[in-house]
Amino acid sequence: MRDHPSQRAYPLTAYAAGNCLGRTTDEIVRALSAGASALRPCPLQLPFDTACGVFPGVLEPLPLSLAAYDSRLSRIALAVLDGLAGAVDRAIRRWGRDRVGVVVGTSTGGILESERAERAHAESGVLPPTFNFDRQHAFHGILEVIRLRTGAGGPACVISTACSSSGKVLGSARRMMAAGLADAVIAGGVDSLCHTTLRGFASLQALSTRACRPFSAERDGTSIGEGGAFLLLERGGDAAVRLLGVGESSDAHHMSHPHPEGLGARLAMEEALRQAGLEPGAVDHVNAHGTGTPASDVAEAKAIAAVVGTRTPVTSTKGYSGHLLGAAGATEAVFAALSIEHAFVPESLGAAPVDPLITVDVCLRRRQGRLTAVLSNSLAFGGSNVSVLLGGTA
Amino acid sequence: MNGAYVSGLGMWTPGFRDVESWAADAPDAAITAPVADLLPVPLRRRVTPLTCMAADVATQAAREAGADLAATPIVLGSAYGEVATAVAMMSSFREAEGLPSPTRFHNSVHNTALAYLSIATGNRGFSTALAAGAATPAAALVEAWALLAERGGEVLLVFVDEPPPAPFAPANPYPAAAAALHLAFTPGPTTKALLSGLRRAAAAPCTPLVGGLHHHPCAGAFALVAAIARRARGAVSLGPFDAGGWEIHVEPAGDA
Repeated sequence: MRDHPSQRAYPLTAYAAGNCLGRTTDEIVRALSAGASALRPCPLQLPFDTACGVFPGVLEPLPLSLAAYDSRLSRIALAVLDGLAGAVDRAIRRWGRDRVGVVVGTSTGGILESERAERAHAESGVLPPTFNFDRQHAFHGILEVIRLRTGAGGPACVISTACSSSGKVLGSARRMMAAGLADAVIAGGVDSLCHTTLRGFASLQALSTRACRPFSAERDGTSIGEGGAFLLLERGGDAAVRLLGVGESSDAHHMSHPHPEGLGARLAMEEALRQAGLEPGAVDHVNAHGTGTPASDVAEAKAIAAVVGTRTPVTSTKGYSGHLLGAAGATEAVFAALSIEHAFVPESLGAAPVDPLITVDVCLRRRQGRLTAVLSNSLAFGGSNVSVLLGGTA
Repeated sequence: MNGAYVSGLGMWTPGFRDVESWAADAPDAAITAPVADLLPVPLRRRVTPLTCMAADVATQAAREAGADLAATPIVLGSAYGEVATAVAMMSSFREAEGLPSPTRFHNSVHNTALAYLSIATGNRGFSTALAAGAATPAAALVEAWALLAERGGEVLLVFVDEPPPAPFAPANPYPAAAAALHLAFTPGPTTKALLSGLRRAAAAPCTPLVGGLHHHPCAGAFALVAAIARRARGAVSLGPFDAGGWEIHVEPAGDA
């Protein structure tokens, strides 16, 4: 059975993330280990108070050769990709540039730049002279700048399914390699703070005014963050963590509410396990989607309980970084990989006191111990669900 | 995987209700809105024009192939997605207190059409929404190809784009348009063509397309639909047409 393409495990030969917890995975693993949130008041001019995860430090403008693609989004993407540069160069030398694919998840692309340009146009009647909709806002803009920066010339696309986008990129990457269309794939996600998502989530009354508290009886909404994460998958190579399966499903229920029993989320987790040929009992940690909104945390917890039971430690990392939307799936896959490499389950920050309707084992204190298989869920608008299954080396 | 069998097609753009009328260049000025009967009336009132186009062509292709939309995986390819809805929200951000309508916000995501199709048909299986500019048709075919290689069965490819609205309108205008192709791992009673040899190719210009669709970001998909409809044999350029393109080989059914 292991030889079937859909049951191949692909090594994660390198990965990197950057968000409010830090610009490097070393900084991020320290923050996750310490149980320290980095959410703070949102810097955008908004008609409400909310906590946000802001990418730390100065985001350098793009080099002159890529200046037409400059955006907050592309600055974040390239800052994070720098952490992967050596590994990507090695993969391109090993496999050839046309055999290295790129799959990137984003929910809103560079829409922040269009928001600014639209405002300028409304005030002056013209768009800013340097503004380029296709390169600074459209999804192919961020895709092109990543391909130019890395030199990867294989099949490339953006996956955009709202908050499941960059979990699903790992499914696309896996299939691309299984079908022989690529030998390595740079798979990741990036999103920046913008008015569209912050005001949009506010219109749905889904934002907390404070740092979000997933699974807590006192939760009152989510917090939005920005950042990026990229993972390098290869057909072969040494790695401490492997991609075992990616389950993708739909709720077929509602545009902005989850199925009340978490049916779609359950199907995604079951599919990931099926691809890996693993029993649910093999899962020793779940990085939940856990946004901190009242309905979705309960629905997801029901789904997790139905698949892996109520004794597997469950953590939402949204209380640390906020909800990174289109970058959430890849970011939390990196968190899960860090959990495996550093042998710990992070505390589910802000969860105490846990909602009595949530019957899974929400991890209230960091736990140390070897992990062999970790599920990471991302559940989105329109009922788009993904569950990513990562494993340590056997 | 050797190839994929095309067993159903769908097409909509203003003036053309289906593949047949479009391939015959027989416009009808009365065709100004897609048919979204697939969506129940309460949903139809809330959806976007882009979602209605996707529903129309998905229904056409599934009907022709005899496919069950409740059980068929869907790959949605769109360069700009719900860009008109996203831009319409922006004017509310100029007001200090402005918030978009919740419906408009959740309708602005790239996977909006997939979500409504899934809700309308009860499909809880695989679907995905992707974008790659002028390479969107090739990227969607890569995803569909890999999905068929992994699972066998069938997949519905849906392509849809509308031009970005002012002040972001494209330099070369094109109409809103959508197409769908039902692909299967094995041939069926309605199989029209066999696709094979999806690969990188030298840049080649897009052949002129009825309805002014050669500037459309999914032009490569329309070129493929046109080639299948006229039973052409040979390589079809999927775009991008300026550089770094993709092509696929088309063999009409019955000629193999």
